[in-house]
Amino acid sequence: MQYPTPIAKLIESYMRLPGIGAKTAARLAFFTLDMKEADVTDFAKSLISVKRDLHYCSICGNITDEDPCDICKDTTRDRSTILVVEEPKDVMSMEKMREYHGLYHVLNGVLSPMDGTGPDDINIASLIQRLHDEEVTEVIIATNATTEGEATAMYLSRLIKPAGIKVTRLAHGLSVGSDIEYADEVTLLKAVEGRREL
Amino acid sequence: MKLKNIHLENYRNYETIQLAFPNSLNIFLGENAQGKTNLLESIYVLAMTRSHRTNNEKEFIRWGAEFARVEGEIEKKERIFPLEMAISSKGKKTKINHIEQRKLSDYVGALNIVLFAPEDLSLVKGSPQGRRKFLDMELGQVNPHYLYQLSQYQSVLKQRNHYLKRIYETKKTDQNFLDVLSEQLVESASHVLFLRYQFLLKLEQHAQKVHQKISHGKERLTLSYQPSLPIAQETTKEEIKAIFLEVLKKNQAREIAKQTTFVGPHRDDLFFLVNEKNVQTFGSQGQQRTTVLSVKLAEIELMKEEIGEYPILLLDDVLSELDDDRQMHLLETIEGKVQTFLTTTSLEHIENKMKSTPDIFYVTNGQIERKSESV
Repeated sequence: MQYPTPIAKLIESYMRLPGIGAKTAARLAFFTLDMKEADVTDFAKSLISVKRDLHYCSICGNITDEDPCDICKDTTRDRSTILVVEEPKDVMSMEKMREYHGLYHVLNGVLSPMDGTGPDDINIASLIQRLHDEEVTEVIIATNATTEGEATAMYLSRLIKPAGIKVTRLAHGLSVGSDIEYADEVTLLKAVEGRREL
Repeated sequence: MKLKNIHLENYRNYETIQLAFPNSLNIFLGENAQGKTNLLESIYVLAMTRSHRTNNEKEFIRWGAEFARVEGEIEKKERIFPLEMAISSKGKKTKINHIEQRKLSDYVGALNIVLFAPEDLSLVKGSPQGRRKFLDMELGQVNPHYLYQLSQYQSVLKQRNHYLKRIYETKKTDQNFLDVLSEQLVESASHVLFLRYQFLLKLEQHAQKVHQKISHGKERLTLSYQPSLPIAQETTKEEIKAIFLEVLKKNQAREIAKQTTFVGPHRDDLFFLVNEKNVQTFGSQGQQRTTVLSVKLAEIELMKEEIGEYPILLLDDVLSELDDDRQMHLLETIEGKVQTFLTTTSLEHIENKMKSTPDIFYVTNGQIERKSESV
């Protein structure tokens, strides 16, 4: 016997989500069947809303429901510094810190020819355009400490530095509150290389 | 370093066995296909968490069982502690002194071993790839920094080759990006090459001594690294970077046409020279074997130098591959100082060469009977 079409379709939809297989999808589908109609409607509405109401900010590339986004519109922020990140969720992490008051630029990806991503496939052109149009004195590159993140950082610095703009990179090394004893050799090596005078 | 005992549960053809190894020399004796190498392999697995024989680790688990476990007590620098490595369908779990080690690099290295298997005899004769793998494995075991730089190199190399392919297909070159990839490649390559040279220098010192002894002073063994770049032993990291960049620049057009990086540590080779002649092409069968034996024994000495203690030696059916004279040397070098486990189908040739009394474990169809024999 086969599932009735509506539930079979729902199972199929759940299975498209990462980390969900056939059994979990079936369980979720039957759970949905038992939910209150109002909750299910809300759920469906939010699913559609993330696709319909969210856009990429035309200035910084972050996800937003209004264009330009809240950060780009905010006139109280320091407009002379731009912090470059790989993903929108990195902006959230930085904002939680509450210590950075400049602007952002979201690349929405990282340079990785292996995955078919070259310089033209991520938001690099729009960053260069911004540097032309606005009075920016420093670009902080906050891509991840992976080989791809490093390659992206090196590439950006080659493009930006000739324009006379200061380019900086986040520090590598020990995480705060951690014991040296538990750090791996490579992290320690990076920490020693990046040591600073007290 | 010593392995005091081992406890296997559902490991290959063993349901549950416990063996103690108070002795320095341990022999697993038995007919073919009885489980001798399985025993030896379990010690390798306890040290490295993987096998030298297979990549399919599900094979460790006895037919019909849920998990396999290998436990052993190690004596290292006057401390005794247990190691445990368990594998189930959910994955591997490793413990040092009852504490789980989540990172592989934290576990591997607790028990240091040198394995000598029949496959090793092809080190000299075989492909450059096999010799690079040998270098990477041995160097990686004593130097975690090397492993990091090597994996960086390999991932950047992959990225660069993909980008060369893309340039070829789209006929558009972003010179800045290609330069960035080249710069990253050169950076990790300089570390890899520098560490390989350093390691080979030390390995050669030890191998030379051993080889001279085995050949009764008639032969001089030298290890000669064959870089694909115009560099040498004395070249500094900074010089390596500059030279490599220069070569990449010169080759750029051709590399784009072929969509691959022509030179670098991934194309290098290692030559073994006896009296200035390459053993691979000019050496006799016997010279090739002596060379491999010298290098393996040198590894033991080198590890002692790096970690302050002798590793454990595993000999998988290699005694039968060596002649009397070489067997003698092997046993002489290890006896009394290196705890050794060996598998063999017969004692006939080795019995009279051993000074100390070995522990002999008779392996028949997954059953083990222990006997201490006087020689």
